[in-house]
Amino acid sequence: MLSIGRQRNGRCFTRRSFLQVGGSSVFGLSLANLLRAQETGRTPGSAKAVILVWMWGGPSQLETFDPKPNAPLETRGPFGTIPTRIPGVRFCELFPKLAGISDQLAVVRTLSTLSNDHGIAGTIGLTGSAAGGTGLDGKPLAGSARPATGAIVAKVRSSANEASRLPPFLVVGGKLHQGHKAIVGEGGGPLGALYDPFRLEYDPAYGTRVPALELPPALTPERLADRRTLLDALGAAERTVESAHKAGALDDYRTRAFALLTSPDARQMFDLSKEPAKLADGYGRTRFGQSCLLARRLVENGVPFVQVNWSDHVEAEEDAGDGGWDNHYRHFQLTQDRQAPNFDQGLTALLNDLKQRGLLKSTLVVAVGEFGRDPKVNDKAGREHWPGCYSALVAGGGTRGGRFVGTSDARAAKPADTPLTPGDLCATVHHAVGLTSEQITGMGLTPAGRVIEELF
Amino acid sequence: MMKNRILLIAVLLHLVTLSDVTVSSAKGEEPVRLTTDQSFKQHLQSSPDGKQFSFTRIHQGKMGVWTMAADGSGFKRLLPGHDQPDFDAHWSPDGKRLVYVHDQFQGTDGKLSLRTCNVDGSDEQILIPHKAFDESPRYSPDGKQVLFVSTRDGNPELYTVGLDGKDVKRLTSQVAYDLHPAWSPDGKQIAFASGRTGKQKIFAVKSDGTGAKALTDGDFLDAWPAWSPDGKRIAFVSNRTGNYDVWLMDADGKNLKNLTEHSGHDTSPAWSPDGKSIAFVSTRHGGSDVYRIAVE
Repeated sequence: MLSIGRQRNGRCFTRRSFLQVGGSSVFGLSLANLLRAQETGRTPGSAKAVILVWMWGGPSQLETFDPKPNAPLETRGPFGTIPTRIPGVRFCELFPKLAGISDQLAVVRTLSTLSNDHGIAGTIGLTGSAAGGTGLDGKPLAGSARPATGAIVAKVRSSANEASRLPPFLVVGGKLHQGHKAIVGEGGGPLGALYDPFRLEYDPAYGTRVPALELPPALTPERLADRRTLLDALGAAERTVESAHKAGALDDYRTRAFALLTSPDARQMFDLSKEPAKLADGYGRTRFGQSCLLARRLVENGVPFVQVNWSDHVEAEEDAGDGGWDNHYRHFQLTQDRQAPNFDQGLTALLNDLKQRGLLKSTLVVAVGEFGRDPKVNDKAGREHWPGCYSALVAGGGTRGGRFVGTSDARAAKPADTPLTPGDLCATVHHAVGLTSEQITGMGLTPAGRVIEELF
Repeated sequence: MMKNRILLIAVLLHLVTLSDVTVSSAKGEEPVRLTTDQSFKQHLQSSPDGKQFSFTRIHQGKMGVWTMAADGSGFKRLLPGHDQPDFDAHWSPDGKRLVYVHDQFQGTDGKLSLRTCNVDGSDEQILIPHKAFDESPRYSPDGKQVLFVSTRDGNPELYTVGLDGKDVKRLTSQVAYDLHPAWSPDGKQIAFASGRTGKQKIFAVKSDGTGAKALTDGDFLDAWPAWSPDGKRIAFVSNRTGNYDVWLMDADGKNLKNLTEHSGHDTSPAWSPDGKSIAFVSTRHGGSDVYRIAVE
């Protein structure tokens, strides 16, 4: 099922409101670059696309991919470990599917970041820098936020893939929040709003949603079910755009962006009911699982960067579906009952699906959160934030599977060797898609870190 | 002749070896789907008379204890006035009250307490006020005490408490997490999940906490045991096939059978009072819904 827009607040789709929306980031303004800019100096990399699985909230390194079965109970927790296809590496027993395909992925075990605040660590994770990040206290750190990794890839890759009719930077999921505050770092930053992501959301009840496409208040949910009415409404919206364009009120490229996003081809792509039921079942009929399936469809159709947000909020209980990984209490129950099964199934299905379609070699998949969790279990069977050491999974896109990078200490509290940063991970993504440091500096940016050469 | 005799002995030996640990598929008829709302569910429990279920549900962003009729109709939130989560409820043997966990958010943390109420949500009482991480409350078969998991002495262990909230007794003292307790129907044993051997397995212990014995072993994770009404079998959840399925075994841990065997996640087994079927929660058709499968 495909759902376009959502009825809310009686917002009227007037010409003025359309212009306001068109002036914001919601119309895939990065697509404008695809239609306007000429690529210069592009260096081909193995990865033609990137899927970033953003594990918002901070999953525990100990209950995922860096367990410590020989540590005291207060560190190791209740779960055992299982062997993987990576020599010397065991996963937490909650991830048997990923363990079974671990020859296709690499585990980076020695990431550390500078903050244990979700907001700031989130900015660092998405951009490679804390600049401009805002914590719980609401005060932004010095400096302007860097562009998201996705925005940088979008800027370079968009014109390389002119056959694609979609925005080059898509986020599947809502805007990331800490409490009621949106975090900094999901957008184009100094590259401009042109490179902000276009957003899709998957709702198990409604299917794929395109929130940016608001509909006239007269179009009730009941009338939405009428395909003819829906087509008429879209036609009216398109005529409004055309009218605004003729009036010269809209950038020519934004007009075309809107047209592309409402095109039948795009709607087909967003419609997950086109997939065989058995395949869709294999991803898991959860928001995360189906978001991964949508991500596969998007990269298959030429979108260079897709970010799949695990959740909108960090905490587990706030979301009605797959809550964030921020388990300060009941951590083991939440991980075992909800988070691990959905993640294990969804990511495994994504990697297998990409491989079977011959896309894994050209698609870099990175799964990471903003930090890890305290090696010492608290008195509520939970774990606090831990920036000192955490893990990421990397697969495809020219990287080599069946390996690990870095070894943490006996409690997964800090790196024992190969200390790495989120900036290094960002640099590695850039490298995988063929970006050179000269291209980065040519954008007015400084390289975020070093390329994790051990992955290639 | 000698060669045939050797071959026959070899076959017989093979069959004898197999009979000690029988693992088979119990897959027969397809489960019947009872709900279709797809909202997240867990902690499914059957009422003693089999006419209702209770379960934890996340609906419109709120976690609460819900009840429904055995055919999946008539969803009702137990405590609609609560804006903080309630979860993991269990029926009293007379079917008149439920015990459950109440959570009070405090920033990123929560304060858990064990509470009881009538099945219509009235007369809410605090059984154990917040002291530690207390959950998985279970009425004893005689209705005189409640079994629960608590971190009050460190790691999660099993405890019992009287209905007046007094006389808390500690049952387990292993340096491991003991979770998911379930009384046997005669009240003489408790099955539970424990990590005391390094992996989370199903154990059974006497009701006074002594005589612990492992019922499952091997790799992978076993959890949430549920005794059959006649006490002869135990249903439990295991990811030994790579995803969570509901399994059956004899009460001594033998004759393991994969009951639900599906690529979806199957959890929360709940026996019918006549022992002829098991209801469970599954993600097999999208979302999280309740199904019922016949048991031979």
